[in-house]
Amino acid sequence: MLSQYWARAKKLWPGWAENRVERGRTRPPGLLYSVDETPPRAVLIMAALQHVALMSNSLIYPIILGREAHLSPDRLLDFVSLSMLALGISTVLICARTSLIGCGYLCPAAYTQIYLGPSLFAVHLGGLPVVFAMTAFAGILQLAMAPLLRHVRVLLPSEITGLVIAIVGLSIAVLGVRYSLGITPKGEVKSTYLAIAAVSLMTMVILNVWTKGYARTFCVLIGMVIGYGASAAFGILDLSAAVPSEGLHLLRVPALHFLEWHFDAALFAPFAIVALAGALHLMGNVSTAQRINDTDWVRPNFDSLSGGLAGNGLASVICGLIGSPGVNSYSSSIGLSTATGITSRSLAYVISIVFALLALTPPAAAALATVPAPVIGAALFFTAAFVFTNGLQIITTRLLDSRKIIVIGFSFAMAMIANIYHDVFAHGPVLLQPILNSALVLGTICAVALNLIMRIGVRKRVSIRFAPGHINSEAAEQFLSEQGAHWAARRDILNRAVFGVIQSLDVLGDLPGDTEINASFDEFNLDVRIRYAGLPIVIPEQRPSSREIVASEEGERLLAGYLLRCSADKISSRKSGDGSEIHLHYDH
Amino acid sequence: MTSSGLIITESRSGDICVVSLAGRIDSSNANDFMTRLNGLISSGEKSILVDFANVLYLTSAAFRALLVATDEAERSATRFSLCNLASQVRELFEMGGLVDAFTILGSREEALARMG
Repeated sequence: MLSQYWARAKKLWPGWAENRVERGRTRPPGLLYSVDETPPRAVLIMAALQHVALMSNSLIYPIILGREAHLSPDRLLDFVSLSMLALGISTVLICARTSLIGCGYLCPAAYTQIYLGPSLFAVHLGGLPVVFAMTAFAGILQLAMAPLLRHVRVLLPSEITGLVIAIVGLSIAVLGVRYSLGITPKGEVKSTYLAIAAVSLMTMVILNVWTKGYARTFCVLIGMVIGYGASAAFGILDLSAAVPSEGLHLLRVPALHFLEWHFDAALFAPFAIVALAGALHLMGNVSTAQRINDTDWVRPNFDSLSGGLAGNGLASVICGLIGSPGVNSYSSSIGLSTATGITSRSLAYVISIVFALLALTPPAAAALATVPAPVIGAALFFTAAFVFTNGLQIITTRLLDSRKIIVIGFSFAMAMIANIYHDVFAHGPVLLQPILNSALVLGTICAVALNLIMRIGVRKRVSIRFAPGHINSEAAEQFLSEQGAHWAARRDILNRAVFGVIQSLDVLGDLPGDTEINASFDEFNLDVRIRYAGLPIVIPEQRPSSREIVASEEGERLLAGYLLRCSADKISSRKSGDGSEIHLHYDH
Repeated sequence: MTSSGLIITESRSGDICVVSLAGRIDSSNANDFMTRLNGLISSGEKSILVDFANVLYLTSAAFRALLVATDEAERSATRFSLCNLASQVRELFEMGGLVDAFTILGSREEALARMG
């Protein structure tokens, strides 16, 4: 049965299923345990608990939904427990490394704001059964989108991916500040919240920067525990929010009260947007996870993104089936991985086991569901720094002209606006809530749209011609640099191409006829062809000796050919018509 | 002295003659550059330090000029070193397998301390 499905999947989506093989990764120096490594058991468990503590703050969304649905304390507890179980299952599905499902990186799941607006609307329309049915519908849409991702990769070039990641970081930081300040309805800051957040954050920073070993690795968990203690000391720890009046059983299997689904046609459009927004969010997170595992990362691996989206889609379907809101990958967890240097995929399996156990242990679940807001704020603010910086680093590897600067600058500003005017946008149309409510989604949609508009008039193939006796290296350099910025080419690759052209022109010298330089670009290739009136230059495999170079200009010409060979990924020099052509190819 | 695209400045630090370069070194100015270095060596300088801090790029012609000067320096028992190579310039030396053909030192201060 499975093999039949597999065969059909391969026929339907040619090129997708076969291409899950990734190129080798270059391990970043600061990484303690990379994605394919398994830490020692104690480290594995502690690191998983650290993620669980961070991920649990997203349980606030099911709690909000449960309260809006007027669930009794008993049923609310079941709802939260089932949500924990769903979180564990979803984490495995998103992180797994299989042929069709999972991105292969540590990208734990969490409940997100993206689902909140439409889910609240669904609760008001027909209660939780509508939420579950529509969540499953969004999951099915994501499953359908997954194999199509590679066909739309032109919409998300690396600089846009970097922007998306930076906005993810920014959004986490804004949320962190909101939690840390404990702003009252009158707009006042709660000084106790600020003090607790400061203690918690300072602990994380000090341990991360000035210590080594376990203290550094578990800095977030230790910071949260200290913040938890400070919250108890300041009297802001409120367990009653998650504890029913009749108390808690030590062990309890959650009852499946929620096995009921109702679709509502009015909600198809909002949940379709939720599916799209969730896909963009996940792509930003998985791209970050890829990058922190590979020093030589240059662009997202779309096979991994497709698998991640398929995993996320299947996870949302399962969430809908067992009775929980929809999930997405969690940006803060990626930031935590960066901060601690543990990106091992094995963590995902331990996280899922911990959540399964928590779902059966109400007191532990209650303790996690009531982590005080300033402690959550400190953890979010801390992890945001790492996510944000990852995004900036990706953007700055590319050359940017005014078109790209407008795309990035405007989109970043839109993301800021979504954060600043959050309360205003909350009153916007339900259909647009998934977009307006999320800085990430608004910023990404703005970036994708502007990028498409700004592509108008950018040619993929350009040329410059020099008349005999008027070859100008500086003009050739300027021509290539400007064009590289239009294309947002990688800075390092373009520098090599500039050297190749200058070295070629230098060795060709004054020529009797015109010299033409053609350059063409797509995201994966940069090709430069130099056509000239003259004989092909020699491209030796071996460097001429120092003695040969010093002895004659012929030695220097051989060195030029050798340098050209070394600077390009592929090179050819041949007769072409009445003249010759040097073809320099660079993998981009 | 200005050669097309290349500015060459000389200064002294004790017994060391420091030759500072700024701009591009290619076939249009490599001969001038080589003549200048050979002139210093034949004038009796015993320690020459070439500072690459402001060199934007160099081509095979520049490498030949430097190799010729290195040969001349060896014949005249002159210490001849390069310093302050920017990363993209150093990459060209590495790409051409020419790092070992020269005495390449770090910053100008380090180089002066080593040669002094």
